[in-house]
Amino acid sequence: MGGPASPAAPGSAVAAAVVAILSQLCGAAFLYAILKADGGWEVTGLLTLLGLGFFLLERYPAMGDFVTASLARVPLVTMATAAIVVLGFPFLVGSNTYILHLLIVAQLYAVLALALNFQLGSANIPNFATGASYGIGAYVSALLALNFGMSFWLTLPIAALAATLFGFIIGVPSMRTRDTYLALVTIAFGVVVQQLLNNFEWTGGPNGLVGIPAPSLFGHSFASPLEVFGWKLPSQANFYYLSAALVVVAIVTAQRLHRSRIGLAWNALRADEIAAKAQGINVAWYKVLAFAVDAFLAAFAGTIYAFYISYISPDNFTFLVSVTIMTMVIVGGMDNIFGVIVGAFLLTILPEKLRAFSDYRLLFFGVVVIGFLMIRPQGLFPQRLRQYGAHR
Amino acid sequence: MSVLLKVDNVTMRFGGLVALNDVTFAIEKGSVLAVIGPNGAGKSTLFNVVTGVYKPSSGRVIFDGVDITGKPPYEVAQRGIGRTFQSSRLFSDLSVLDNVIIGMHTRTKTGVLDALFRPGKSGREMAACVEKAEALLQFGSGDLFEQRYRPAGTLAQADRRRLEIARALASQPKLILLDEPSVGMDDAETDALVADIKRLRSEHPELSVILIEHDMRVVEAFPEHVMCIDYGSRIAEGSFETVRADSRVQEAYLGKAAAHA
Repeated sequence: MGGPASPAAPGSAVAAAVVAILSQLCGAAFLYAILKADGGWEVTGLLTLLGLGFFLLERYPAMGDFVTASLARVPLVTMATAAIVVLGFPFLVGSNTYILHLLIVAQLYAVLALALNFQLGSANIPNFATGASYGIGAYVSALLALNFGMSFWLTLPIAALAATLFGFIIGVPSMRTRDTYLALVTIAFGVVVQQLLNNFEWTGGPNGLVGIPAPSLFGHSFASPLEVFGWKLPSQANFYYLSAALVVVAIVTAQRLHRSRIGLAWNALRADEIAAKAQGINVAWYKVLAFAVDAFLAAFAGTIYAFYISYISPDNFTFLVSVTIMTMVIVGGMDNIFGVIVGAFLLTILPEKLRAFSDYRLLFFGVVVIGFLMIRPQGLFPQRLRQYGAHR
Repeated sequence: MSVLLKVDNVTMRFGGLVALNDVTFAIEKGSVLAVIGPNGAGKSTLFNVVTGVYKPSSGRVIFDGVDITGKPPYEVAQRGIGRTFQSSRLFSDLSVLDNVIIGMHTRTKTGVLDALFRPGKSGREMAACVEKAEALLQFGSGDLFEQRYRPAGTLAQADRRRLEIARALASQPKLILLDEPSVGMDDAETDALVADIKRLRSEHPELSVILIEHDMRVVEAFPEHVMCIDYGSRIAEGSFETVRADSRVQEAYLGKAAAHA
């Protein structure tokens, strides 16, 4: 291992821009292809292609560095391309509401995975209660809307604050334990929340809450189709853009925390708690903080989910949901924002696409996940060292 | 000169084992204390008691006029005690530069809300940290600065020790505790280390240093104040010459028979 001088960036800004645009378009094209894919052979073919791509990336890490450096070199071009891709995708998909639905769920899971990434990725805290925070967000906002007629936009922050409080409540006792025991405490909290939702009368018990009204913005109801410049998009497109906005919020939050001393403190306690304390880091406080931030973001996702589906029940927020989110972070790449999002998309879309294998669906799903982890043991996009100043 | 750290009758018991037995000593501002003693004598335990990793069974630790006995380690660090560890505890999956920046944790302020809503402020603070960290990496011997974007876990042994010292200095401590800084260094590197510590003292005359050492070449370089610990007790204290001549110290190191031969 040589000391990496400046990362391998392409010579000219124009070349970097071309790489930035092409790489993102390739990603979008692949996403489109896999969403459209039908039947076992097509899906298998695409997965093989993806596996091959990651194999090459593992074999020649310089490739990845080159693309990353290009993207970082022309941040405006990168962001503009990303914005166009995200905004334009529903037009590409057209009236296929099933694909839009998948994308909405994938984006909500991306937010949940980014939320958990603060803990699992940055600070190595195995929190199995993200599903519970997600549920608390969904229930608080739904109850406020159904019982008090509150608007979606008002319930959003209230639900987030309620879930943050919950994050503190699990965070504080969890600090007395660590590793495996910590995982057990969070599992217990997750199960308790789900059981409470199941048994309380005011949460609707196992029947859940029905008839959550669709939000509206400037008089436009999210339940009605979206019309843009004469293009008519199905009503799901409203929620697609809403959840895309939330993903942006989650990315910005993650990036800002990651680059600040808070992200560094989390990384420090992940690497060595005793050494972190010796640097003056209040380890217990930073762990609780990670719980709170996780719950805050997860509650946003929960609120959008509740208003999108308009029906929630305790079954939506089981232990299995928490495990799924955790798998997304691990497969995608711990402490890598982009990787976590890719993990969330892959693991949301894959089980749907594997329906072609009917009874063997879950088996095949497991094999694919293990396969990717074998190709990329550190996750699809592993964490990267921070770069500063001219190095960035 | 005033007293910076005062350790008063500190005893540390682990079950039936007495790791430190009624140890008392003091160190003045701007001075160096070398702690020597055979393996297992309780030297590292002493550091752990001072830095709050262990709460002593009895006795008091007074730092800068404040009783810090049993205070949590992060609070002790905030009060101005930096330290290194015997088996270097670096943040191995982070870059060399990040390790030093984390050392500045007590000197930086950005909270969650600032990080989220005032990225400019947070970014400026981070940029200042990078600048200071780079200066620290250039200060010592070796070429840590050139290796600043390497993961700390891939450094050679001597560089690991140097990086730990740089990280401890990043918090601008009043007192720095070095636990066997020369372990894993060859003679030339050890000489460079001694020169580094001397230069550090001349640039920061207020800084006090306590170092645990087995290498007598290092101890010899700081001969004013040496303390020898054996079986948890302080058996000798004074200048290097006095301590070296002490018969109990010779016994501790060489065994009774050899010392009297």
